[in-house]
Amino acid sequence: MNTTYDISGILPDETISEISGGTNVLISGPAMIGKQELAIKLIASGHDRDEGILIVTTRRNATSLINDFKQIIPDLDTDRIGIVNCSGTDDRQRLDEIALEKVSSPGDLTGISIGTARLLQGFYDRDISEVRHGLISLSTMIQYLNIETVFKFIHIYTSRIEDTNGIGVFTIDNDSHEPRTVNVISSEYDLIIELRENESGDLELRVLGPESGSRSWYPY
Amino acid sequence: MKTNRTTIDRIGDVAETYQRWLSGRYDTIVATSGAEALEVLDDDVDVVLLDRMMSSISGDEVLSTIRAKNIDCRVAMVTAVDPDLDVIEMGFDEYVVKPPDRDQLIETIERLLDRADLDDNLQQYYSLLSRRIALQQQKSEDELMESTEYRDLLERIEMAHEAVDEQIGDMSSNVNFLGAVKEIMGDDERQNGPGSRENNQQ
Repeated sequence: MNTTYDISGILPDETISEISGGTNVLISGPAMIGKQELAIKLIASGHDRDEGILIVTTRRNATSLINDFKQIIPDLDTDRIGIVNCSGTDDRQRLDEIALEKVSSPGDLTGISIGTARLLQGFYDRDISEVRHGLISLSTMIQYLNIETVFKFIHIYTSRIEDTNGIGVFTIDNDSHEPRTVNVISSEYDLIIELRENESGDLELRVLGPESGSRSWYPY
Repeated sequence: MKTNRTTIDRIGDVAETYQRWLSGRYDTIVATSGAEALEVLDDDVDVVLLDRMMSSISGDEVLSTIRAKNIDCRVAMVTAVDPDLDVIEMGFDEYVVKPPDRDQLIETIERLLDRADLDDNLQQYYSLLSRRIALQQQKSEDELMESTEYRDLLERIEMAHEAVDEQIGDMSSNVNFLGAVKEIMGDDERQNGPGSRENNQQ
């Protein structure tokens, strides 16, 4: 049961090139710095190994998310991607070929959970047992629910990902909340990837966690 | 603390068997019709075992009445087939596949009673963690470790974490996962809509 998920070539060499099954990752950084792009890269990189992709999106609709994935994986196998859309924005294009669950709001945790359970069941029914989960973004959930509820949900959902031996990639705008909120949420994760812009305006990244390798800042 | 739990069992001719199995551990009430079940239900009832196939009032109706009256109890559906996801979408908390044996029945009831404490325990875990983070913002970890109070806090966090994880159980089970989410949503779903920002921070 020692599944590992390959992420080679995405993060600096000194950090990590694979993530073991059951690991939950939080990408933390200021708004608009590229957390979502990084999350999509980390999630997409298992596609050529027959893994499944299961995304909860709170801001963008499924169509634009699929387009982002197609940029990285031109021959995206639509049978291996499932999306729970709770962004409230409808998909203009019909997405007949994509497993899509619509939930009315990022605050409807029951709906979101049922959606993810259905999609995961769908993967298992097709013998796809290795799944990369994404939740983009926690910050939207915090706008809809009180912070305790979001924290409790994170505890449950990360446990779910751990117990099903998948990996989870979550994002949070660390400049939109109290530092204390961000720290309490971070403590629920096995790995934290932090993004920042240095004084010269260049992007930097560091990886924190027990299996993270080097903890220094690297250009990204 | 876990006293006076009442289990209502309304499964016609097998109800008596269930009651015999359960009555040593729990206070039990047997109702043999939907109407009777609704009559005896109140806030003292913690767990309801409900057969969907009943005469007069259907199990679904009993369930929706329980929810409408806001009675804080967990309801397990007793069913002939393994319904998994569907059962949660119908509003049940668990299901028991017929015919259960004594151990299965008790296990299900215990899981439901455990889950009833999950929200409080997660809340407690959150508060303790939050306190730790606040302290870490003021002092270095080395400084903090010199205080007995802080080391005590770390121990309490560890214990709270273990308690929570024991209660949530195996999250690869859909019913456990969805049941846990349902527990934490209790108040938020009703009271807060969009725009209720981080209102509970100190």
